[in-house]
Amino acid sequence: MGKVMVITSGKGGVGKTTTTANLGTGLAALGQKVCLVDTDIGLRNLDVVLGLENRIVYDLLDVLEGRCELRKALIRDKQYGERLVLIPAAQTREKDEVDPDQMLELVEQLKEEYDFVILDSPAGIEHGFKNAISGADMAILITTPEVSAVRDADRVVGLLESAGLHDPQVIINRLRPDMVRKGDMMDISDVDDILRIPILGVVPDDEHIIVSTNRGEPVVNDKKSKAGQAYRNIARRLLGEEIPFMDLQERNLMGWFRKVLS
Amino acid sequence: MSQELCSIKGSREGLVITISDASQFSEVIGSLDRQLAASQSFFMGASAKVFLRVGSLTSEQLDQLEQLIAGYGMHLDREPPSFYSSISPTTPVQDSPKREEDNTILVRRTIRSGQRLHYDGNVVVMGDVNAGAEVVCTGDIVVLGSLRGVAHAGAEGRLDATVFAFRLEPTQLRIAHLISRAPDEKVPLPEGPEIARIVENTIQLSIYNH
Repeated sequence: MGKVMVITSGKGGVGKTTTTANLGTGLAALGQKVCLVDTDIGLRNLDVVLGLENRIVYDLLDVLEGRCELRKALIRDKQYGERLVLIPAAQTREKDEVDPDQMLELVEQLKEEYDFVILDSPAGIEHGFKNAISGADMAILITTPEVSAVRDADRVVGLLESAGLHDPQVIINRLRPDMVRKGDMMDISDVDDILRIPILGVVPDDEHIIVSTNRGEPVVNDKKSKAGQAYRNIARRLLGEEIPFMDLQERNLMGWFRKVLS
Repeated sequence: MSQELCSIKGSREGLVITISDASQFSEVIGSLDRQLAASQSFFMGASAKVFLRVGSLTSEQLDQLEQLIAGYGMHLDREPPSFYSSISPTTPVQDSPKREEDNTILVRRTIRSGQRLHYDGNVVVMGDVNAGAEVVCTGDIVVLGSLRGVAHAGAEGRLDATVFAFRLEPTQLRIAHLISRAPDEKVPLPEGPEIARIVENTIQLSIYNH
């Protein structure tokens, strides 16, 4: 029996889809069988981030409404094939057409076959969010170190608890160590003070992400990228390994000077 | 809140749904539905009694009420609340604070953004009250953690109500009819616990030393 994780945030644009793509790819690279489900109906883009858009024939709604067999809607990843598959969101339909029971049934079926089923939730806390969390055994919250994103994450923790999803974990995304050091950005402990839930990882802000998103190749495969390293670490933590948090300080001459002087 | 035809409060006997005028039953049902929907599943599994300020309900109306709250995971206790019937709704509790008789609820979790806690009595939170959360009660509020949200103590007019927190940094603080808010600029916080109370008709914060 696999694990079902929902990736959610409340606030939009904090990196749910990027995280889903990278954790899925990272887990597949570690030999796990992973199924990604894009539940953001009407605004699909997980397929784009994975570079699989041109292979879509059937989507999540086709599966839920029985218009195609589950097997036919699974899109195999370019690199990992059967080990990493995607069920894309429907692009054209209204999201109110999905109901939580149908999602639950689908997820039950998927976790027989896959080690990880990762549900990419839409932003917001309405119908689509409720569909996405139904059937999940665990939740991963994404937040950026901004007051508004943390506030929304806090709200979502409360909603997850009332939906029976206890012990969510958080990934702090797009941290900028230079700004934290100057006191211009919330740091990890500020976020932790408010949310008080385990931190699964901290992903630094990284230009490689934009490049890789546009190319449709998850940054987790990029050995030179710090964000990629952070995602690889998170994937290994999900498998129960103890990986210490990365040192996000810069490694250039100025950084070295500062270290010597401090 | 005072405009609503009904309110949901915690009491010694569990939840009490207070209906101000039973003759406007359909509006009461509408108002109750809105409040329950807004509270999400906060009341899940709770049992509730009904207290009528004016008028009475037929058994069909009670059935309808029972169905509505059952939809939010609550069940109806048809026994009238004994404790409530003795309080006249028009008398402010202000000058007869019998503290030893008050209810106190212990909340063993953090109250998060979007969650609201209303209680008839004192509230003790073992956790934080985060920004965006709201605690309103008729008695004192004690937060064994950080208070960052909105707190209203003595909500029915009790002037001697207090708000205590290990770290008192609320968005807004209300005691009885007075309101104060956090200053717009950042001010350094004292490290230790603080208590807020009314002194000369304003809310004052002071370092708590026993």
